[in-house]
Amino acid sequence: MRYKYPVTTLPTLSPSFDWRAEKIDWPVTTEVGRGLSGVVATTTEVMWLDPASGSLTYRGVPVETLAAENSFEEIASLLMTGSMPESDLAGYSAFRSQLRSSRALPSDVIGLIRDLDPATHPTRLLRAGISALGCHELTVGDDLSGDRHWRDLRIVGQVAALVGEIAAHRAGRASPVFGPADSLAESVLIGLNAHRPDPADTRVLDLLWVLYAAHGLDAPTFTSMVVASCLADPYFNVVAGLSALRGPRQGGASEAVLDQLSALDQPSSAKDLVRRIIDSGRPIAGFGHRSYRMPDPRVAVLRRELAALADRRDRPDVFESARAIEVAAESTLSPREIHVNINFYAAPIFHLLGADAALGPCLFAVGRTAGLVALVREAIDTIRLVRPLSRYVGPPERALPRPESP
Amino acid sequence: MIGRSDASSPQTYARGLEGLVAGDTRISDIDGRTGRLFYRGYSIADLVANSTFEAVSYLILQGEMPTAAQLEDWQNELRRWRRPPRAAFDALARVPRRAHPLAQYRTMLTVAACHTPEPENTTLDAQWRRPARILSWTSALAAAAIRHLDGRDAVEPIDDLGFAANFLYQTLGVVPPDDEIRAFEASLIVQAEHGLHAAAFAALVVISTGADLGSAVLAGMGALSGARHGGANQLAFEMMAGLENADQARTWARTALARGHRFPGFGHRVYRCPDPRVKALEAHAEGILGSHGLERRWEVYTALRDEIEAVLAPKGIYANVDSITGLLYHPMGLPVSAFPIPFCLAIQTGWMAHCLEYLPDGTMIEPGAVYVG
Repeated sequence: MRYKYPVTTLPTLSPSFDWRAEKIDWPVTTEVGRGLSGVVATTTEVMWLDPASGSLTYRGVPVETLAAENSFEEIASLLMTGSMPESDLAGYSAFRSQLRSSRALPSDVIGLIRDLDPATHPTRLLRAGISALGCHELTVGDDLSGDRHWRDLRIVGQVAALVGEIAAHRAGRASPVFGPADSLAESVLIGLNAHRPDPADTRVLDLLWVLYAAHGLDAPTFTSMVVASCLADPYFNVVAGLSALRGPRQGGASEAVLDQLSALDQPSSAKDLVRRIIDSGRPIAGFGHRSYRMPDPRVAVLRRELAALADRRDRPDVFESARAIEVAAESTLSPREIHVNINFYAAPIFHLLGADAALGPCLFAVGRTAGLVALVREAIDTIRLVRPLSRYVGPPERALPRPESP
Repeated sequence: MIGRSDASSPQTYARGLEGLVAGDTRISDIDGRTGRLFYRGYSIADLVANSTFEAVSYLILQGEMPTAAQLEDWQNELRRWRRPPRAAFDALARVPRRAHPLAQYRTMLTVAACHTPEPENTTLDAQWRRPARILSWTSALAAAAIRHLDGRDAVEPIDDLGFAANFLYQTLGVVPPDDEIRAFEASLIVQAEHGLHAAAFAALVVISTGADLGSAVLAGMGALSGARHGGANQLAFEMMAGLENADQARTWARTALARGHRFPGFGHRVYRCPDPRVKALEAHAEGILGSHGLERRWEVYTALRDEIEAVLAPKGIYANVDSITGLLYHPMGLPVSAFPIPFCLAIQTGWMAHCLEYLPDGTMIEPGAVYVG
């Protein structure tokens, strides 16, 4: 039986077009496919995903190098300002202290979160929290032209603070306690586990956020960009972006990965599990990404990290199960250019760091917000209102029936 | 809808995806050269004259005018959702009153979204159960957000009133005269759908991720909050409010035109001709301003419109719908900073229709960026 994999794996970029250029001369002509694949929506200097090799660079540096050597805070600065911390130590120091101090949430915002049922999906709580923060941060008539950078970095810190708060609320605990010396990763881990994290765990979370920080015009980023093109304020942009975060095809993917892992009783039954899922016509969670027709280089990093973390936790079974599913699925799917994606290993890492499945998209959100605000900020000066056309294929002109005259 | 075919085809477009045909739609037909707007084949002039917002929202969502029984069911469904969760109202007490009214309203919606029935069910059936709830919840929450601007408490709905009348009652605390209800309803009808404008497109990107309809509406709202979009009716009204009379309007417009000023409420990416929505509302605006003794505002508007169009019409710039809605909302007693809200209530109908049209086989929308680093 010919198995049709239910995930679109069309190349995002139109192959006949030069996606790496000095500049762009509008208008452009490209091959346009499903889901607007192949459409040029903007230009960027922030990140580059090479369609030929699958390698991802931020400001020209491969993401694997950055993940090995830099913290998330440093990479947030690189993405948003364009310079590495070591080239501007004073600037980075100011950036980091502003980022960290923005974690102080107004008591009304904490109250708004705490009034909501802890069982509510955490992404909904996060969105409500960011929306409320926007009301506290901005007043009617604020001029946003000068201070966008400062606003943007505050939003990254605020997302982290809310995720820590939501994790604590979800577990029925008081607000996490941390100080200005604690990094974003440390404060979120305190929210997750109510104790100071092991430095190795902090490093893993930093690394995950670095790998997740930017990935082109994914749905949250592109949504934010469309909203920003109307000259909305940064909180409207981010609330809209967070609305695109939870869909099962986006951040919600990590929940499906964990469900799939927990359906496996022992690594040796992985082949059967994979066969059952494929026979039923469902996708293998954590496989397939339309930007990659080759293995995603970020996965190799995370595979090693999960192995090490599972060992430290004395849970080697978690890694063995994941690896067994990966091997079983690769043999069937890789001939069709469907490969394991970053969520496949990120989801169990989030889990071992103390996040239940539903919190996965929120943890993802902290990292992605840095790239999102950087890409939107970059586009905003030159962007035009985004308004594509649609072709009308509906009923021809007709008139309402007239009421009968008496 | 967007890219339904597997085959790619070459297209040429400019910044802002201008000129890109994103896909097919059966919802509305906009003719930007002759200035005509049709919902599912019916002209908005016909709908404004002969229908109600309830029937038009049914038409936009479902594709056909409702039969009497269908309309009755739809109205009942809309009435059933007129009482949003208490927590969404309580959220107002948690945000500063100096915040932008749309931001306060947005926060109410995000809190209401924490209380939705079957929140994580994104099957097509579940998505179709949402439009009535979204329309009616947002109406009640928008009314409460507007009252909160002056520190007034929310008002319970009146079940016997239609959608437009009940919104005005919950906002103003009194049932306004019939001509005002009709004028307001006309403004809802002409603004209920407008193709794949930026806000509808933002909603579509969100629904394409498999998110729920309410999340898509929130993204649309974000787009609409921007000055280039829904905020324009407020800016247009403020521009006109600064002008005392027709003579002053003409003098000011001439000076501003000579400076190359851009006028809020004038010019539209799609219409290079008179905006049909303006035509459908002008008689209502003139009548209501007249009945409130505000004829001078009407004179300022027509003077400004004529001066600007005399110079800019050859460039395709005419008064758009944002120039006129404030002239309706102001005499009814809506505060200026709340003007974008009724637009938001109306236009989300179209966003939802586009989302539901896209859903059955919608691919995630993910365009690319050219790397210039």
